[in-house]
Amino acid sequence: MMSDAKHTTSRRALLKGAAGAAAGAAALGVSKSSRAFDAPAFIRQTGSAVEVLFWSSWGTGTPNGEAEQEVIRRFNESQQDVVLRHEFQGTYDETAQKLSAALQARQTPALSLLSEANWFRFYTSEFLAPMDDFIAANELDTTDFVDSFLTEGQRNDQQWWMSFARSTPLFYYNKQAWQEAGLPDRAPETYTEFAEWGPKLVKKSGNEVSRWGFSHPPSADFISWYFQGTVWAHGGEFSDDQFAVKITEPNSIAAGEWLRSTVVDGWAAPSQDRVLDFLNGVTSSIMQSTGTLGRLTTEATFEFGNGFLPAETNPGCPTGGAGMAILATAPPEQQEAAFKYIAFATSPEITTFWSQNTGYMPVRKSAIASPEMTEYYKTNPLFQTAVQQLETTKPQDPARIYIPGGDRIIGDGLERITVNQAEVQATFEEIQGQLESEAQPVIDALSAIEG
Amino acid sequence: MTSGTDIAPSTATSAPVVGSRWQMRSLAAREWLLFLLFIGPNLVIFGLFTYWPMIENVRLSTQRWNMLSPRRTDVGLDNFRYLLEDGVFRQVLINTFYFTGAAVGLSLVLGLVVALLLNQPLRGRDATRAIVFAPTLLSGAAIGIVWAYIFDPRFGLLAQILGWFNIGSPDWLNRPEWAMPAIIIVYVWKNLGFAAVIYLAGLQGIPRDLYDAAKVDGANAWWRFRSVTVPMLSPISFFLVVTSILSTFQSFDIIRVMTRGGPVDATNTLVYYVWDEAFQRSNAGRAAAAALVLFVLMMVVTLVQLRYSERKVHYA
Repeated sequence: MMSDAKHTTSRRALLKGAAGAAAGAAALGVSKSSRAFDAPAFIRQTGSAVEVLFWSSWGTGTPNGEAEQEVIRRFNESQQDVVLRHEFQGTYDETAQKLSAALQARQTPALSLLSEANWFRFYTSEFLAPMDDFIAANELDTTDFVDSFLTEGQRNDQQWWMSFARSTPLFYYNKQAWQEAGLPDRAPETYTEFAEWGPKLVKKSGNEVSRWGFSHPPSADFISWYFQGTVWAHGGEFSDDQFAVKITEPNSIAAGEWLRSTVVDGWAAPSQDRVLDFLNGVTSSIMQSTGTLGRLTTEATFEFGNGFLPAETNPGCPTGGAGMAILATAPPEQQEAAFKYIAFATSPEITTFWSQNTGYMPVRKSAIASPEMTEYYKTNPLFQTAVQQLETTKPQDPARIYIPGGDRIIGDGLERITVNQAEVQATFEEIQGQLESEAQPVIDALSAIEG
Repeated sequence: MTSGTDIAPSTATSAPVVGSRWQMRSLAAREWLLFLLFIGPNLVIFGLFTYWPMIENVRLSTQRWNMLSPRRTDVGLDNFRYLLEDGVFRQVLINTFYFTGAAVGLSLVLGLVVALLLNQPLRGRDATRAIVFAPTLLSGAAIGIVWAYIFDPRFGLLAQILGWFNIGSPDWLNRPEWAMPAIIIVYVWKNLGFAAVIYLAGLQGIPRDLYDAAKVDGANAWWRFRSVTVPMLSPISFFLVVTSILSTFQSFDIIRVMTRGGPVDATNTLVYYVWDEAFQRSNAGRAAAAALVLFVLMMVVTLVQLRYSERKVHYA
């Protein structure tokens, strides 16, 4: 009997507790919805510094990450109005994935690094803030920006994305392998020439290849970025500016046949980690971003050279890398503050510092022509190749960078060719079909927001 | 709120004598309230974080959405039709079964062998048990990175070992036909210890007199193993089969780190495919449809196993 009475009281207590918990949960719910997108109180107060959260893609401990930390440190010390807080988010693609998730959860940073292949879908989903007013307010001299770097981030007469860490693919070669094969000390000038050189670079012990002439990246390592250059050099393209897919045109197919011939003729192979293979001497040459020059310089135990991507009927080389975008979901004062960092990080002085420490290209004409850079290039000639190649580069075809998943659709097809020696015509027809069906929603979205 | 007066202790405890309908009802109400009180918090959490996302996933599987845009388009069953016709998805299903079958089969068989060995009174047995179990505790991502080095066809540990026997190492991670065996090896290495430890516990639970009785009947070691050990271990095996199938079905980390589903989708399994479609290719709808396929498959596996277990498994 006693125990039963005790039970009842404890039940009552529990009920009371539950009611309290429910009230608490309700209170939480209310406060959560009312606080969305509101700046913390200290930011709204005049006179105190605005804190800006910045998401980026270089981890500390890497040369690029250390350089970025230094840029941020200098920015925070240079003025009192803005405090930039940096958060590392992973690779370019991981950063974009997390930003997508953050937007669904309505917990975004004010500023994010976004790669050239990722910013556009944030634009078509109308999550980016236009920058023109900020550019005017900060009197940023846009004419000093390398033209193609600036215009790539423009849509509908507005700036939405500002180039920061821009790169191009370069051709890197192991000088020792080149010497052993009796080749001149330079990158191949054409794809035809490269196909003649390739077999000479192969080293075999028995049936095992111990050194390849060239290594192809997998789809997930942007094979379609490098192939963008190959397809242009052959006079083809992935698509035109209006998203009309052109990958089955004869010139594009010719580029695909070149790619296939490298593996059929046995001098090139696919590799999951070709930078490591290059460093280990497993492959004689790779195409790789300018942004990797820093790492190769530190880690290579042999002498290597670099050069432009080969040409064929004409030169062909895409730009790549990343820029910064301001999130429209951030409160106005944070947007304004975020732009101050963009202006600082792209200033001639900082872009020079950034370029010298990472291998990414300076985004300002005055920086490229500056005595500091000229002097630097004299002592580090490999760093100059990218800037010299700049004249022949252009932004990539929309099919690769503006169609969501376009990079992987093209890349998967190319990987089937490099790994399984798949037939080019059939493979490219498949790519064409997939790109066309994925392009339609983008075209619809664009016509909805740009008219 | 009426419950406060309804459930006064005196009426509740003296109920059996009188047993009026009013009292019965109040008792039922009280039970219900108690039930809700205990189950409620769990139900809310489950509902919010498990059932609601599942329902949302079904809805998403009939839509086209890039994970970002405020606009979602209803496409009916198009996503499922796509999966049905997609060569990659077919490959993914084959890979998933190949991988699950091989990884579960090998880790169970080898786990049993290891358990049998470790059940003998050998020297250094405890240390060996710890070593065998250790990989189970490691993070899949870290294991993937280390094994990628081990598999390197030129400088890797495995290539060196094969070299002692004059066997050339396959280019494990760059060849479609070798990448999946490589992944399976790593998974088996990681999960073997778990199966071994569970089997070991099972072995030690088998009464000795069963073996003695078998010996008296003239059964040799093999027959004792077949007629005593295997049947007595069947509930353990059943448990291991269920948990291993469900966990390998959902494997992701090692594949992500070692091969990223490649080369040419050779190691692309269902969960990887779902992730890849959603987060790498921005096809949330297609990913949701694939996730639903995964859900149904796992449901079928579970049901089949439940059925089977009722008939065949010997519970001691």
